[in-house]
Amino acid sequence: LSKPSQVGSGQKLGSRNLIDETSDIEDLLKEEEDYKEEKNDPTETSVTEDNEEDDDTREELGGLFRVTQPDRECKHKADSLDCSRFLVEAPHDWDLEEVMNSIRDCFVTGKWEDDK
Amino acid sequence: MATQAHSLSYAGCNFLRQRLVLSTLSGRPVKIRKIRARDDNPGLRDFEASFIRLLDKITNGSRIEINQTGTTLYYQPGLLYGGSVEHDCSVLRGIGYYLESLLCLAPFMKHPLKIVLRGVTNDQVDPSVDVLKATALPLLKQFGIDGESFELKIVRRGMPPGGGGEVVFSCPVRKVLKPIQLTDPGKIKRIRGMAYSVRVSPQMANRIVDSARSILNKFIPDIYIYTDHMKGVNSGKSPGFGLSLVAETISGTFLSAELASNPQGQGAAVLPEDLGRNCARLLLEEIYRGGCVDSTNQSLALLLMTLGQQDVSKVLLGPLSPYTIEFLRHLKSFFQIMFKIETKPCGEELKGGDKVLMTCVGIGFSNLSKTLK
Repeated sequence: LSKPSQVGSGQKLGSRNLIDETSDIEDLLKEEEDYKEEKNDPTETSVTEDNEEDDDTREELGGLFRVTQPDRECKHKADSLDCSRFLVEAPHDWDLEEVMNSIRDCFVTGKWEDDK
Repeated sequence: MATQAHSLSYAGCNFLRQRLVLSTLSGRPVKIRKIRARDDNPGLRDFEASFIRLLDKITNGSRIEINQTGTTLYYQPGLLYGGSVEHDCSVLRGIGYYLESLLCLAPFMKHPLKIVLRGVTNDQVDPSVDVLKATALPLLKQFGIDGESFELKIVRRGMPPGGGGEVVFSCPVRKVLKPIQLTDPGKIKRIRGMAYSVRVSPQMANRIVDSARSILNKFIPDIYIYTDHMKGVNSGKSPGFGLSLVAETISGTFLSAELASNPQGQGAAVLPEDLGRNCARLLLEEIYRGGCVDSTNQSLALLLMTLGQQDVSKVLLGPLSPYTIEFLRHLKSFFQIMFKIETKPCGEELKGGDKVLMTCVGIGFSNLSKTLK
């Protein structure tokens, strides 16, 4: 079950693939050629000389090259299924009395607050 | 548009619908690059192309450009027009996939939208039409979208892979939305459900009902699960069955859960008893998460709060879904709005898990294209 605290840490990941720009439609295709492949396939590790990226997950090779280790989660997220359903990742065992009691007061049959 | 607004740029096919919906509402063009660029089968899929065609049908003056491989999409939104529309949805996704976005856009049309959607009414991926009817419509009513013409009707049921279902959705237009204050979900007074079966024995639905009741009866006696067995042309092209459950509280909150059988020819056969029990457990999970809006409709509620009058709106939610978290980021980039997010720990109370209180001031969006009568 995802805790609200994850909201903050996840926010950094997503903002990376958002670029505000003022481009025209005409150079739609032209820009595509200029567009650099920043994140490569997660299965391969490539060597690049680009030092401008502020990716934390990189090591230096001989003080000259940097090994990119693209963020797997980010890459996976960009092209995954567009679905609004919130799947249950760690289901409770609803046969246990203790688990059943954890939602007991959500029902009219449960305990009511004094002021109601 | 005379002056072109700054366009926003994204990468990847995920969250395509929310990007296009927010683009349409805000008037800001979007460019989406690298759509499955590294896939063996790159570019937009049929169901996404169908979604873009649907957007084109309900708007006037939209400009859509897609490159040759389908990996880049440029969308400059037109005006929301509405009116009577028909659309054949792709059977790769449920009608819910399309309907979710229509629910976001319909209140802001020039003319009230009345749309016939054909395709898959119930599948394992998207919220079914039954669940949206039972949860999203009451939610829209909280914002003042109401009236006789507000309805979602299932004419034919269609299961994957064949589809063949048909629904009619009509929605009135509003100039402004009411702010909401939903901070107390209230206690659950009853559970309703719909067990459906098409092109299989009608007995399947009865077997689902019995098994789901056996679990839910431990919590509350007021349970009624309708059985729906559509016949002939109304049963679509593929066999299947499933269950949707909705828990209703005394203050009008609806929490839902659903399950559908595996599509014909895919995966092992599912026993109706197992499906009923598992669906009941999913509803208990949803009740554990809790909040005033169920997890599938979180983003719809947050959108309508954003677009409300310039007044404070509050809503108590369960844990935010990944889809909602991304939606909040998108709301920030399209409407420069940020929500105040406060966690409400569950403490000693027997009311499920931690909750989140979301607060914002609406941007005072008003539907200028609505015609005055």
